[in-house]
Amino acid sequence: MSDKKVTIEVDGRKLEATAGQMLIEVTDAAGIEVPRFCYHKKLSIAANCRMCLVEVEKAPKPLPACATPVMDGMVVKTRSPLAIQAQQGTMEFLLINHPLDCPICDQGGECELQDVAIGYGDDASRYVEVKRVVKDEDIGPLIETEMTRCIHCTRCVRFGAEIAGIRELGATGRGEHMRIGTYVGTTVTSEMSGNVIDLCPVGALTAKPSRYQARAWELTQTNAIAPHDSVGSNVHLHLRRGQVMRAVPADNEAINETWISDRDRFAYQGLSAGDRATQPLVKENGGWRPIEWSDALALAVEKLRDARAEANALAAPHATLEELFLLRKLMAGLDAPSLDYRLRQADFRATSAVPGYGLSIADIERLDAALLVGSNLRKDLPIINHRLRKAALNGGDVMVLNPVDYEFNYPLGGALITSPSNMVASLAGIARAVGVSADGAIGELIDGAAENDETNRLAARLTAADKAWVAVGALAEAHPDYAVLQAIASAIAEASGAVFGFLPMASNSVGAALVGCVPSDGGLDAVQQLSQPGKTSILLDIEPAQDCLNPAQAMRTLDETAFVIAISSFASDSLKACADLILPMAAFAETSGTFINGEGVWQRFDGCVRPLGEARPGWKILRVLGTMLELDGFDYESPAQVHDEVRAMIGDRGIDNSLDDPGDVEPWRPKGMQRIGDVPIYRIDALTRRATALQQTGEPVSALACINAALAKRLRIADRGQVKVGQGGKSVVMAVRVSERVPNDTVWCPAAVDGSELLGPQIGDITLEKA
Amino acid sequence: MNTLVNYVRSLFLVELFRGMGVTGRYLFRGKFTLEYPEERAPQSPRFRGLHAQRRYPNGEERCIACKLCEATCPALAITIEAAPREDGQRRTTRYDIDLFKCIFCGFCEESCPVDAIVESRIYEYHFENREDAVMTKSKLLELGEKYEAQLAADRAVQAAYR
Amino acid sequence: MANEVCFRTLHRDRSWTLDVYESEGGYEALKKVLAGDWSPAEVVDLVKRSGLRGRGGAGFPTGIKWSFISRDMPGDKYIVCNSDEGEPGTFKDRDILRYNPHALIEGMIIAGYVIDAVAGYNYIRGEFWEPYERFEAALDEARQAGYLGKDILGSGYDYDLHTHLGAGAYICGEETALLESIEGKKGQPRFKPPFPAQFGLFGRPTIINNTESLASIPDILRQGADWFRELGVENSGGSKLFSVSGNVNRPGNFEVPLGTPFAELLEMAGGVTKGRKLKAVIPGGSSAPVIPGDQMMDLNMDYDSIQNAGSMLGSGAVIVMDDSNCMVKVLDRMSYFYHEESCGQCTPCREGTGWLYRVVHRIETGRGRQEDLALLDDVAARIAGRTICALGDAAAMPVQGMLKHYRDEFQYHIDHKKCMVGAGG
Repeated sequence: MSDKKVTIEVDGRKLEATAGQMLIEVTDAAGIEVPRFCYHKKLSIAANCRMCLVEVEKAPKPLPACATPVMDGMVVKTRSPLAIQAQQGTMEFLLINHPLDCPICDQGGECELQDVAIGYGDDASRYVEVKRVVKDEDIGPLIETEMTRCIHCTRCVRFGAEIAGIRELGATGRGEHMRIGTYVGTTVTSEMSGNVIDLCPVGALTAKPSRYQARAWELTQTNAIAPHDSVGSNVHLHLRRGQVMRAVPADNEAINETWISDRDRFAYQGLSAGDRATQPLVKENGGWRPIEWSDALALAVEKLRDARAEANALAAPHATLEELFLLRKLMAGLDAPSLDYRLRQADFRATSAVPGYGLSIADIERLDAALLVGSNLRKDLPIINHRLRKAALNGGDVMVLNPVDYEFNYPLGGALITSPSNMVASLAGIARAVGVSADGAIGELIDGAAENDETNRLAARLTAADKAWVAVGALAEAHPDYAVLQAIASAIAEASGAVFGFLPMASNSVGAALVGCVPSDGGLDAVQQLSQPGKTSILLDIEPAQDCLNPAQAMRTLDETAFVIAISSFASDSLKACADLILPMAAFAETSGTFINGEGVWQRFDGCVRPLGEARPGWKILRVLGTMLELDGFDYESPAQVHDEVRAMIGDRGIDNSLDDPGDVEPWRPKGMQRIGDVPIYRIDALTRRATALQQTGEPVSALACINAALAKRLRIADRGQVKVGQGGKSVVMAVRVSERVPNDTVWCPAAVDGSELLGPQIGDITLEKA
Repeated sequence: MNTLVNYVRSLFLVELFRGMGVTGRYLFRGKFTLEYPEERAPQSPRFRGLHAQRRYPNGEERCIACKLCEATCPALAITIEAAPREDGQRRTTRYDIDLFKCIFCGFCEESCPVDAIVESRIYEYHFENREDAVMTKSKLLELGEKYEAQLAADRAVQAAYR
Repeated sequence: MANEVCFRTLHRDRSWTLDVYESEGGYEALKKVLAGDWSPAEVVDLVKRSGLRGRGGAGFPTGIKWSFISRDMPGDKYIVCNSDEGEPGTFKDRDILRYNPHALIEGMIIAGYVIDAVAGYNYIRGEFWEPYERFEAALDEARQAGYLGKDILGSGYDYDLHTHLGAGAYICGEETALLESIEGKKGQPRFKPPFPAQFGLFGRPTIINNTESLASIPDILRQGADWFRELGVENSGGSKLFSVSGNVNRPGNFEVPLGTPFAELLEMAGGVTKGRKLKAVIPGGSSAPVIPGDQMMDLNMDYDSIQNAGSMLGSGAVIVMDDSNCMVKVLDRMSYFYHEESCGQCTPCREGTGWLYRVVHRIETGRGRQEDLALLDDVAARIAGRTICALGDAAAMPVQGMLKHYRDEFQYHIDHKKCMVGAGG
């Protein structure tokens, strides 16, 4: 498109525009209102609703503003009698078959059709015939359909085809019999499907979890940052009587554009889960007793004093920057070096100081090539995947090295699917094909690697690309040779001129790294803390049975730890099993704070809901503990003070992906079958795990073993039967699926699901036998 | 001159007799007052008394939880919670009218798209406890059932003017 | 002076075979074009000068359409023939496919050569099974004879034709909906611009013409542009197939020069049945507004005359109605057709056609209301000119035409709840 400037006249106003722009973009920018239904700035132009008809001088008939390119000297009238008559005509047509059920429609009060009807509709209908009625389909637990209300703008259809990348909704039938549906009555499964709720201009597609619970005028809108992934999507929370009723996207072109993932949209449901921690609890004789805050804090302080430098602390990477900073400060005050946030990291030999994307989110869509190492990106970081999808559709090559052949919603430029233990060799193969020259052990590994057609192809595309990215994902983090994978990936990036980066999972992984929530001299990292019982441990917003690399070991160790202080929003049974004191902490939306996303952007948010029961914001709990421990510098009065101090401490430090040499590279050699334990999309954190609607979507929620047909045949296991899966001496009986997405001799057995808490490390040796 | 006229008037108690005349006239006219509670004033079909919630003849409650009454209530006397009923229909799970707040303006009735919330002709009621002043959904429905004949007749009379 | 172009071989036995076609001068034009007697630009110029206008309904000059695409445009280009003859009353393309398929094939090859297309598609209406088989057989013959395939007649030009059978949707006769249908998508018109000449089949430049237009090309080249133009009258060059149907004694296809008086055409079709009085004529397929019989008898069958009379020549489907027809019933049928065939993509047509049909149907069944006629006028006006494709106009125009000329019949239906015409309602 040329950048030629043209001048047009709209309603007597002279407007500057770029040649080729559509008229509606120009009027929108100038604040001139043109009614529309089918047009959406992020979707292709359909021009099917005919609501935006305007009069253009010298055109014989009114033209749709959404599909009329501007031309120099064009004279447009949006309010002329002809334009108004055309718009009113369309409005009448839209209304004749639209049910008058606004009183029971969830869209009522925020409905585009209602709004436009006020301006362009008549007060009475001339249509006396029978109205259309459409039978509804059940398209899943997230989206409620009421297709009689549909005005066939096809925004949802275009969203599926263009944004979600799966054509799940479509139009069937002709004329008045045209229906929007799934064709075959299946569930809509896209991880971004909830966006059609916002796109739908009427009440045909509404949110199922909040169905009938609130009207638009009862809701107060506040801003928040989604806490479920490292994207930091901007959201609006809609509150009613101090309760979060729903989450919708807030526009931020640099981050989430106008979309959010279903996880960010529906995870709020977890806030009202039955096992929220609402008062301090202490374990006494194996039972739990509620106690006063003052007694609880005194007890915690006593235990921390006892332990002093031997105290351990683990923090969730989705805790706020302020909480992480205060925990860091508390531990420093106790001279305790054992602190970590990398709960799912398996290998600490060498790692980047502040792992992050390495490039801006907006730049991802301009990439020519990307190599993902161990990432189910579509489920891990839906928004990043969406950006990468745009790059792929623009001709970019997205390539993966994964232990499972994950589904992507765009064609991959190449895929190396290999067992976890073989990932190092495969990556080394790519490195060799790229022409990496490295010294030491890594160099030897690369020189000894085998190249094949696929590694060569991936390498060639990576090298040829102008803008390329090599990113290490969440599955690599759980790999026993994470340090080696990082080192090779980084070398590949360097040799091919690509940007090297990480795909941190949690909303504040970067923040945790920046405030230094990592062991200091002689301190224990997460794996060490969770393998040797200590004196006193602090768990900040962690459910050890789900949030750790090796849940069985974590539970055992914490159980044997003398005293475990859990500062947590939830008092789940598994937490109760290993903790000794639970301090109830305010959850998402109840506390203010800061997240630093994977790109390194700081985003502050305020609490908008009162903490449930006696729960208190994490920063307050930690501040009081600090004061009671008589440590210096804990006399904060507001989170802003904490924030300012963090800001000053961090200064302009940001993402730092540079690596140390891992030294020893003796790779992990599995003894038999290997487990691939990724974290399913809706099991990522405590809140999401309690969002009931998300748990019903068909994504894994309970223990499941996936093996390929060859292995199934060898072990004589039938698809959909039961198997006994063992790790570290314990075994769990679970359902089995046969899938060709899994390589030979591996068991794809998701972590953080119900039943997986008895298993060992996410990637490691595993046994499988017929149950 | 004036002084003289005034003197004569006061001497013969003219004002008094004129006043007595008025009194006398009303003494023999019909009575305005009513012997409440034995006697009752007539009520308009538009009378705005105690609230009630109506049902359809088939027994289905009318209210669809649209919350327009809650939104329109100038005294913020109405509190509604809604959720899908078991059969998927939109229904209230809570419908409270705080009679201490209510100013009986009738806006709730006017805003109701399904004639569910109505103001009945009842104006004689009392509370013994503060909490009794809250008309709950069950109380409203009970009243509606009890006076349905009258309520329906009043709505029918008014139908032409709405 | 009939049957000079598309039906030139009609008098022969088995006129659809290659032998017959060749013996009547078939494929001579193609040979000359491939031999370089005319450059592609000259062919386009010839077609322009012949005055040939699109025979599908819109009447857009074919030569000008061809000139939008040049041989030098990079990438694949396509020729598409629209044989999805769905317009009620039209059945001319069916007979071209049945009796003279080679003229169409030759025309499509010439068109393909002119723009250097890689392939041509003929989209045949789903119900046309016999014409489809004839056309396929003709394609086989043409391939055998070397007119299609690799290196056609040694010219170095590779080109082949494919047929695509429709599935019964009227809307797929709209050129962009037809392209969508060939691409395997739901048959829905595209928003224009861009026109098919820029963004056509599979997003490539495409020429899309009616069967009759393409089948006329060989004779225009063989006998000259002037010969063709002078067959017809000013602004309406050549001859045209008219599908005469309705209350006539001898319905059928008649190829006559444009400008032939309607009275003559009616005579050829054997006159009105049972000697009844001519009541009304729809001159160009059901989308064209109706013209009262008296007025029609004075008109000539050419683009301008019919347009001046307030209708259009369209696809040349002449529907003749005698005085036993109830116009309300006629409109009821027609508006049902458009209601059924609207693709549903854009609002005015999706919702409006159903509304029109329901109101007309109510009047027809004696449930009309006084305000209905004004309502019909208004709804039709709100559809016309507001839609993506011409189907909206096509649905509105018959209503507007009927109400203009036969308002009294509709009023009678409303007032008396029965029909003015004994035979009807």
